[in-house]
Amino acid sequence: MTAARAEPPIGRWSRWSDRLNPILVREVQQAVKGRAFALTVLVALVVTVVIATAAVARGAAPDAGRGVFDAGLTTLVPLVLFVVPMQAYHSMRLELRAGIVEQLLLSRLRPRAIVAGKLAAALVQFGLYVSILAPLLATSYLLRGVDVATIATSLGLALVFCLGATAAAISAAAQGATAALQPIGQVVAAFGFGMLSFAMMTFVGTGEYARDLGWLLRRAEFPAVLSAIVLGAAAATTLSALTAQTFLLHAFENRSTGFRVYLFGLPLLALAWIGCFVEPALWAERTAAVVFAATLLGIVFGVFFCTEQRELSPRVRAHVPRRAWAAALAAPWLPGRERGMLCLLLYLAAVGALGWLVWPDPTAATLVFAPGVRVTAFTTGLLRLAAFTAAYGLIYLTLGKGLRRWLPPTFAGNQLARFAVPGLCVLFCLVPVLIDVFLRDGVDQWHGLHVLNPFWTCERFAFRPERGSVLTGLLAAAAGCVLLQLRGLAHGIGEVRAAAALRRRAEAVAWLRRRTASPARSRRWRRATGWRSAARGPAAGRGRSAGSAPAARSSCSISAPMRPATTCATSTGAATRAASSCGCGCTRRKWRRTSTWCSTPRRRWPAPPARSARRGCWRRRSCSGAGARAPRCGC
Amino acid sequence: MTGPLLEVQSLSRRYGRVQAVDDLSFAMARGAITGFVGPNGAGKTTTMRIAATLDVPDRGDVFVDGVSVLVEPREARQRIGYMADQFRPYPNLDVPEYLDFFARAYGLRGRRRLQTVRSVAAFCGLDGFADRPATGLSKGMGQRLHLAKTLLHDPALLILDEPASGLDPRARIEFRALLKELAAAGKGILISSHILPELGELCDSVVVIEKGRRVVAGTIAEIQRSVAAEQAVRLRVLGDAEAAHRFLLTQPGVGAVAVDGDRLRFALAGGDAAAAALLQRAVAAGLSVVEFVRVEADLEDIFLQTTRGNVQ
Ligand SMILES: Nc1ncnc2c1ncn2[C@@H]1O[C@H](COP(=O)(O)OP(=O)(O)OP(=O)(O)O)[C@@H](O)[C@H]1O
Ligand SMILES: [Mg+2]
Repeated sequence: MTAARAEPPIGRWSRWSDRLNPILVREVQQAVKGRAFALTVLVALVVTVVIATAAVARGAAPDAGRGVFDAGLTTLVPLVLFVVPMQAYHSMRLELRAGIVEQLLLSRLRPRAIVAGKLAAALVQFGLYVSILAPLLATSYLLRGVDVATIATSLGLALVFCLGATAAAISAAAQGATAALQPIGQVVAAFGFGMLSFAMMTFVGTGEYARDLGWLLRRAEFPAVLSAIVLGAAAATTLSALTAQTFLLHAFENRSTGFRVYLFGLPLLALAWIGCFVEPALWAERTAAVVFAATLLGIVFGVFFCTEQRELSPRVRAHVPRRAWAAALAAPWLPGRERGMLCLLLYLAAVGALGWLVWPDPTAATLVFAPGVRVTAFTTGLLRLAAFTAAYGLIYLTLGKGLRRWLPPTFAGNQLARFAVPGLCVLFCLVPVLIDVFLRDGVDQWHGLHVLNPFWTCERFAFRPERGSVLTGLLAAAAGCVLLQLRGLAHGIGEVRAAAALRRRAEAVAWLRRRTASPARSRRWRRATGWRSAARGPAAGRGRSAGSAPAARSSCSISAPMRPATTCATSTGAATRAASSCGCGCTRRKWRRTSTWCSTPRRRWPAPPARSARRGCWRRRSCSGAGARAPRCGC
Repeated sequence: MTGPLLEVQSLSRRYGRVQAVDDLSFAMARGAITGFVGPNGAGKTTTMRIAATLDVPDRGDVFVDGVSVLVEPREARQRIGYMADQFRPYPNLDVPEYLDFFARAYGLRGRRRLQTVRSVAAFCGLDGFADRPATGLSKGMGQRLHLAKTLLHDPALLILDEPASGLDPRARIEFRALLKELAAAGKGILISSHILPELGELCDSVVVIEKGRRVVAGTIAEIQRSVAAEQAVRLRVLGDAEAAHRFLLTQPGVGAVAVDGDRLRFALAGGDAAAAALLQRAVAAGLSVVEFVRVEADLEDIFLQTTRGNVQ
């Protein structure tokens, strides 16, 4: 197939482009040949020339520079907020529709690289459009319309918004809902980006943007506002990219950890921002706002966490951390609704701790904040609102999780449950209202039946500390909901720990197989341990024979004089004849150096005194742990 | 590794109320070409997509070179070249650019990338199409491009879903030759097709499925032996075929005689001894026998005998 041929010459571009994301290279190649791209560039060029001509015609008018800047930026806005995102949307949709994305996923490209490549392509397009409009921006500066800071800030903001919009477009396109909905999705995306561009064009074109930015640039709050905008856009871009990537991942890949880390990261980012840009006297108030926003965000994410499939996928199960303690620590970050609930509880506990710090209790507040912190009634109200939100969230998520059990254990089931949770909330808001309308004198005031209506209840009680019993009751109900789930939560952790144990066992089996691979050593070992093959015949003792199950997923039986017959099963639990690999492969020399212990997953026992038997055991360090360590003995 | 290259274990996949694949198991050796045959809707594409890590089963697993496609999809993907039944290339890319892009996606860099693209394009006969847009190729050339793309990362296992559908006879023969060359180079090929005579020529073994269940699997010779309890015999006589027909109808063990000109085809129970005895009797009865041949059941016969034509 690879006939000897003259070595092809390799150009500099070809060599250099090897370092780039293949998607970026392809998108650029396609764009250069595409008609739409050529047309857009042509239009941008024509507009640039027209604006420049108009500026020259106006001569030395005092606001000529500002006018050129406004016109140039107004031209840039639809390019970066409509053309670039819609191109990314189309590219993604085409790949999904034509099944190309499957071909991509079969290659070495990860979904993350696909999304990153598309974002990089958007960056290149942005650079190109900016370079087309650069003469206009330079002219506006030369005509003293705007200063360099305004131009740089505007381009920076345009870049951030362009990336955000493109990530949102890719995410929307990747959510391959039913084919019938796709044209509607496209119309919605086009309408959304169109409206956004139109609004921004109006804002920029009327000169308001340049005025406001000029005003802001002169104020001390400028870094705070700019950093807030950039951080917000970066967070939105990351979320969109995460979502897009999730839809492209193999069904058994871990789709949850990214979102869970993201959820924990956001409040930290907000706190860091407060620490950097907010004066200490306002920290408590701002932190209370963060607590409320973080709780709300946690509940929204919780809807997704608590409606996942219950069990770990085979792939995730095979890749959990090996050590028992690491597995237990990793559990809240791994997929599964029980673990999702655990993660949410940890998150709410962390946010609650933050809220406790700013609660109007001087001891707590002064631990972190300066003694003179201001804790206003509004701050307290915000914190109470956060507590209400957490309580309602936990109650509804518990209901939703219960409902999820009755839905099929598929991705479609997850999606259905995600709609069901807000549906339940609407139901519990609506039913008491209907009861009021039809059975009572109409909806005039809150009563006990409205207790599951979060909106009305919060509106009535959140900002009235004197009516504390409702909040206490709700928090007690939420705690009850958590207590009801304790078994499930334990199962969530237990499943990860069991997977870790299985993994250790499988690796021990593989290790032993390598150790006993040498026929001489194997023979010596067999003689020493009196091992007898469970499956006699030519295949017995071999790692894998034709027609047998692969060795890596096997169970084995050991019948050695010095230890009880033991059975082990590895990742998939199929039967094995790889008995030789289940023995302990240490040599006599090693035994002399270290004391020996052997154990099964259930019990531990010292190596027997018989010399020949001892040789079959392993070093203490690898063998003598708790039950979880036992598989290193291969059983 | 000595185990099978592809091992499908108790695979099941349900779409709503349709059981697309139902407890399907089979294995495929290295360097073998295995035909994957079944009526429409039998579950071939579903099985192949699961094996190619593009779908997940409800139950069961598939091992490629001992690697589970469910546990290690990424590693399995490096061993698999999957050619889907539909091919839609990127617009605005010509043939070398298309291959170059996928070569990059498969992690090939620098000179190796260029070399691989060239050699794969030459192997698939795409040399003369360098300036053609990938979307502007004929069906046959498109399939070649698709195959070339599938071969870029030198996979051990090729999963080809109806690669020859829509090709003209010449293109099909050329395509078959390509596949034979690939098998000779040590690649395992799982190929589904509805053109059974061709598969019969190409494949070492076949797996026949219907309604997601395995009906029969093995080498064609094995299946022929297991399926055909009666052997088919072709007889040609000089002169009166009608007399031969009448003679055959009186003979023990002979059934289902079909006359086609001077040729007669019939089923004969019993082994070689029964055939020899029948021939002796025919000659003794005065028939001028020119040809007395046992006819091997071909893949089409096997397919018709083993499946019931159930489509879902
Ligand atoms: N994505 C899907 N959604 C719903 N049903 C599906 C889906 N994919 C396959 N099926 C159903 O599963 C069954 C098996 O389909 P599959 O495409 O695997 O058959 P096939 O053997 O490849 O058929 P053909 O020879 O026509 O290509 C069919 O009844 C089909 O309708
Ligand atoms: Mg098919």
